[in-house]
Amino acid sequence: MDEDLKRYQFIRTLTIGIFLIIIIFSFKLQIFEGKKYYRLSEENRIKKKYITAPRGNIYDRHGKEIANTRPAFYVSIIPALTNEDCIKRIAQILGFDPEFIKMKIMKIEKNPFVSVKIGRDISFEQVSIIEEEIEELSGVEVGVEPVRNYPYNDLFCHVLGYVSEITDIELKQLKSYKLGDYIGRSGLEQEYEKELAGTDGIDYIEVDVKGRELGKVSEYRPVPPINGKDLYTSLDLELTDSTANFLKNYPRAAAVALNPQNGEIYVLYSKPGFNPNRFVRGLTEKEWEELNNPQDAPLYNRATMSCYPIGSTIKPFLALAGLDKGMITIGTTFEPCTGGIKFGNRYFGCWKIHGRLHLIDAIAHSCDVYFYQLGRYLGIDIISDILYEVGFGKPTGIDLPQEKTGLVPDRKWMEKRYGKNWTEGHIFNLSIGQGDILATPLQLARAYTIFANKRNGLVYPHIKVGIKSDILGISRKKEAIEVVCEALNNVVKRGTGMMAQVQGFEVCGKTGTAENPHGEDHSLFVGFAPKDEPQILVCVIVENAGHGGSVAAPVVGRIIKTFMALNKGMTGAEN
Amino acid sequence: MQRIDRGILTLSIIIASIGLVMIFSTGGLDYLLRQAVWLVIAITICLLMSKFSTRFWPTFSLPIYIITCAFLVSVLFFAQSYPRRWINIGPFSFQPSEFAKVGTILYLASFLSEKKKIEKFTDFFIPLLIIAIPSILIYVEPDLGAAQIFFPIMCIMLYWAGMPLAKIIIFFSPIISAITSFAIFAWLGFMIVFGIFIYMRKKLAEIMYHLIVNPLTGLITPIIWHSLKAYQQKRIIAFFSPWIDPKGISWQSIQSKIAIGSGQIFGKGFLGGTQKKLEFLPERHTDFIFSCIGEEFGFIGVFLIVVLYLLLFYRILRIAREAKNKYLSLVVIGILSWLWYQTFINMGMAIGILPITGVPLPFISYGGSSLLACFIGIGIILSISRSKY
Repeated sequence: MDEDLKRYQFIRTLTIGIFLIIIIFSFKLQIFEGKKYYRLSEENRIKKKYITAPRGNIYDRHGKEIANTRPAFYVSIIPALTNEDCIKRIAQILGFDPEFIKMKIMKIEKNPFVSVKIGRDISFEQVSIIEEEIEELSGVEVGVEPVRNYPYNDLFCHVLGYVSEITDIELKQLKSYKLGDYIGRSGLEQEYEKELAGTDGIDYIEVDVKGRELGKVSEYRPVPPINGKDLYTSLDLELTDSTANFLKNYPRAAAVALNPQNGEIYVLYSKPGFNPNRFVRGLTEKEWEELNNPQDAPLYNRATMSCYPIGSTIKPFLALAGLDKGMITIGTTFEPCTGGIKFGNRYFGCWKIHGRLHLIDAIAHSCDVYFYQLGRYLGIDIISDILYEVGFGKPTGIDLPQEKTGLVPDRKWMEKRYGKNWTEGHIFNLSIGQGDILATPLQLARAYTIFANKRNGLVYPHIKVGIKSDILGISRKKEAIEVVCEALNNVVKRGTGMMAQVQGFEVCGKTGTAENPHGEDHSLFVGFAPKDEPQILVCVIVENAGHGGSVAAPVVGRIIKTFMALNKGMTGAEN
Repeated sequence: MQRIDRGILTLSIIIASIGLVMIFSTGGLDYLLRQAVWLVIAITICLLMSKFSTRFWPTFSLPIYIITCAFLVSVLFFAQSYPRRWINIGPFSFQPSEFAKVGTILYLASFLSEKKKIEKFTDFFIPLLIIAIPSILIYVEPDLGAAQIFFPIMCIMLYWAGMPLAKIIIFFSPIISAITSFAIFAWLGFMIVFGIFIYMRKKLAEIMYHLIVNPLTGLITPIIWHSLKAYQQKRIIAFFSPWIDPKGISWQSIQSKIAIGSGQIFGKGFLGGTQKKLEFLPERHTDFIFSCIGEEFGFIGVFLIVVLYLLLFYRILRIAREAKNKYLSLVVIGILSWLWYQTFINMGMAIGILPITGVPLPFISYGGSSLLACFIGIGIILSISRSKY
């Protein structure tokens, strides 16, 4: 009996003890940790739904939209709610590799309930298929978001740049972005990312475990989105379009057209290009490889990122330096051109037998022999000084990212490169713009504003209107500049640049042919018009196309002609 | 002839009614109505059984045991879905495993009560065989949750029948050996500490047992582990490290804890549980119904439910103590240990201190078989309560 009582008491104690454990742990969960679990239950229930702020539009000088936004479908997945089959099916519908989707959703380190956009800008057909199967595709959502749109596709691809999804590494550095955000990648999109981007708004939505949205949560106030600021540029849609048209027969080329009075860029064109709209959807590996092929380098903005030898376009600067220093005059002649000149035991050729020329004709006919001798007479320091002064060897400061610096081979550089005993042969090469000197088409265009600018200064090239419209003054004699201008006019009137002539306007310019060790010469031309009151300055380079006078000059001429036609009646009003 | 214990009947009906309320909250009107019909049937059968003579139970123990086991066999052949847990008879479907618990308790009680003394090691073997048949049959359905119930019931019944506690512990020490075998130092620690305990009892058989059986099980367990189904392994792993993969099985455990914890002191109010409503909580109306109580009624609700169960168990324990003979007493203690163990396992799983094994909460979880089996148990207790000393 005693034994029975003991057993009874034991079972009773055991029962009470065990349920005491339940009470104690419930107490811990509900009272000690209740707040934490309440917060977790709220996080479960309330989804922060971001309302994408549309990116600011980009306008050309006449107020035409050259970048805007359009609605696009996306499909997103909530990692916590999805499964293998679902991922496989979605991958099949979108034509992706399932591993790619898995990688994309595995990246999320924090809340697995935050949905990840896996397909952007998907087609209506894909949306229809997904919507039809949405019940079986757990954790999958389809929605509409504003995305970047470039109405003229590749026409402005380099100057505008493009947007694409932010990468993991960027995400760690840039606190204000979140997964799936678009970010400006090059061109103006990158340069003005802060202004263009805007700030996304937040809606607090109650969701169930499948991620189904049940409506807004009244306890939390929604945050409205702040749209991105619009960007007004000096670019000219029609002129750019015409430029592209004039260059359509050449695979690789660049063109810069700007206002030589205030530095506003009208055209900044480079080819081959790419369709920036494709980045919205995201590129496949193959597409990305195609864009990075090193020969065509379509992602490269040749106008600001490619450096070329400037060829004969250097000659006016040598003339200017000589005139300015009083070392030569308009009538100065050197040894006659016999198709070349012997110096020491080396022979330096000219492209034609010119005979004895004075300065104006030497420029007009681009005689190399004249400039070999002028260069040798001026010396390396005077040449590099003038080149630096007109802006070679340093960025122009244009409002675009990744601008290249180019190279001016000065004494220091020569010594470093060729040792103490570098020969005058290097000066000969430099005097006709070959060899080591390198500049971007934009630098070249800017350098020529010294001749086209009414105050004979350098402009600051810029694309956004209303910035940097002042002039960098140059301390060269006005008379010297006028002589060179006269020579540049003669280039087009009766010299190598005759194909740049425009009926009704006096065009000034200079041809150039940049020797290229990899193939055919690059064809160069820089020109501006009208002579007395220049409104436009154009620089065109066509890769591997031959002589400047035959390829680049006519293109510049046609660009100037188009510009004049477009701006008829506005002459003078712009200044 | 005494009257039935009204306390037990009232408490079980109160708990079942709370169950109805929670089923409405978690499953809606449709589930409520179906469960209400089952409750009416269950109470009717319960009252009917409470009228049975106490002589009925020992006479029919073996046939009931055999019939329920036969159902367990037939479910393996005639179940229309996998896991093979359900048998359809006409419009009804039921889970034979729930009724096998009653049958096994009745027959085990009858076996234990026939023996004069229960104290030897050899006395374990027949009871083990009796529970092994239904356990294994249920395990292959598969339903690990239901299969595990039989063992603790047997232990408590053996103890009640006179088996010394120390012997039960020694006999089943291989289980500890098996659990600790996954961590070599834990296992060595167990072998040494338990070895000292046995050495002090100075019984050669026990020492030999410890030195042979325990090392053996420690060796075999990892082999058996690999024969477990992947989801079973996952559940056990998830229990030991719930935050490893929040999407997988431990997701249920986390969501259950969030549900209970977020209820705080007073709860989110009836029908106010967001974890439940938005379906973050799995098996809301069945296995995790206790989490909904915690979410909607807070600690107060949890406390009250536990107190109600304790009162019920206390009343049942008193019947076990006062029953007319050893057989009846054993039947009552068997039913008590069943309800008690299942309640504990279910609640422990909801608050995240026990692995998720899919055991319904007696009287409260949605499900006709479970409810009916519980009330059959209560009916048997009530019939016994009429014949105290």
